[in-house]
Amino acid sequence: MNTIIFGISPWTIIKIFASFAFFIYIFFAIVVVRQVRLMTNTLKVGLEAPLRFLALLHLAFSIIVFLFALFV
Amino acid sequence: MPDIFINQEGDNSNLEESLGPRKNKKMSPSRCFWSGNNLLSSFNYCPQQIDFGNQEKDEKVILLLRKHPIVLMPRILAIVAMALAPVVLIRYPILSFLPSSFQVLSVLGWYLITTGLALEMFLTWAFNVCILTNKRVIDIDFFSLIYKEVSDADIEKIQDVTYKMGGIIRTVFNYGDIAIQTASEVSNFEFLAVPRPDEVAKILQNLRREKGQEREEGREE
Repeated sequence: MNTIIFGISPWTIIKIFASFAFFIYIFFAIVVVRQVRLMTNTLKVGLEAPLRFLALLHLAFSIIVFLFALFV
Repeated sequence: MPDIFINQEGDNSNLEESLGPRKNKKMSPSRCFWSGNNLLSSFNYCPQQIDFGNQEKDEKVILLLRKHPIVLMPRILAIVAMALAPVVLIRYPILSFLPSSFQVLSVLGWYLITTGLALEMFLTWAFNVCILTNKRVIDIDFFSLIYKEVSDADIEKIQDVTYKMGGIIRTVFNYGDIAIQTASEVSNFEFLAVPRPDEVAKILQNLRREKGQEREEGREE
């Protein structure tokens, strides 16, 4: 696996693909945050604060994984 | 089998009493049984903390319904299996051909996707609700996090309520589907896999009877 293809290591190519995938995932995490806000505005059941916190935590986790993929 | 998702507060034996005709009485949470603060109840009778977007001032929530949690069981098991999957890697190091940093990235990515799926599953379950108020039936649906549909119909416009339960699992866990036909723009409401459909139908019947009585007596607002 350490063979160089056109001067590029296969791990670099995998890293680029992984970084791109996790970058796209950040958008999904943003959609989740927006959706939680929309849902909690539509229906207030008393779980608003913990759900918003969880959605933000998920977004933060996705950014951390993206940065890890970028600098791995 | 105790059902932790069904509100256990209050005396369930009084349900029949609470569902009986309440002539000339306005429904209020203080008169309701099964009221409580279980936020995750799938059959929440007279919830105290529920507030929805277009709720009117004198509108009181009688019943909040979600899908019975047993229908989530396959997805919960899948998520638990996904969460435990990286543990298998300790015994069977199938990712050993990867450099150590990529192994860590794979596990992190796996847990990120698992967390996303779990969150999406919970949100879809918790916010796809059916609400019965003293005035309306409201169906709030969120599809796959990006599409929202809210329909409502006045209690007086309900023409027919049908419920069905079938199969071993539905009978054991006492849940089923309720179909409501109305004379409003949204002609059909379907509440799928909700707990105690017979009691929901009874509550609807009583609400309709009460509205009918109010109309006959000229007390309609």
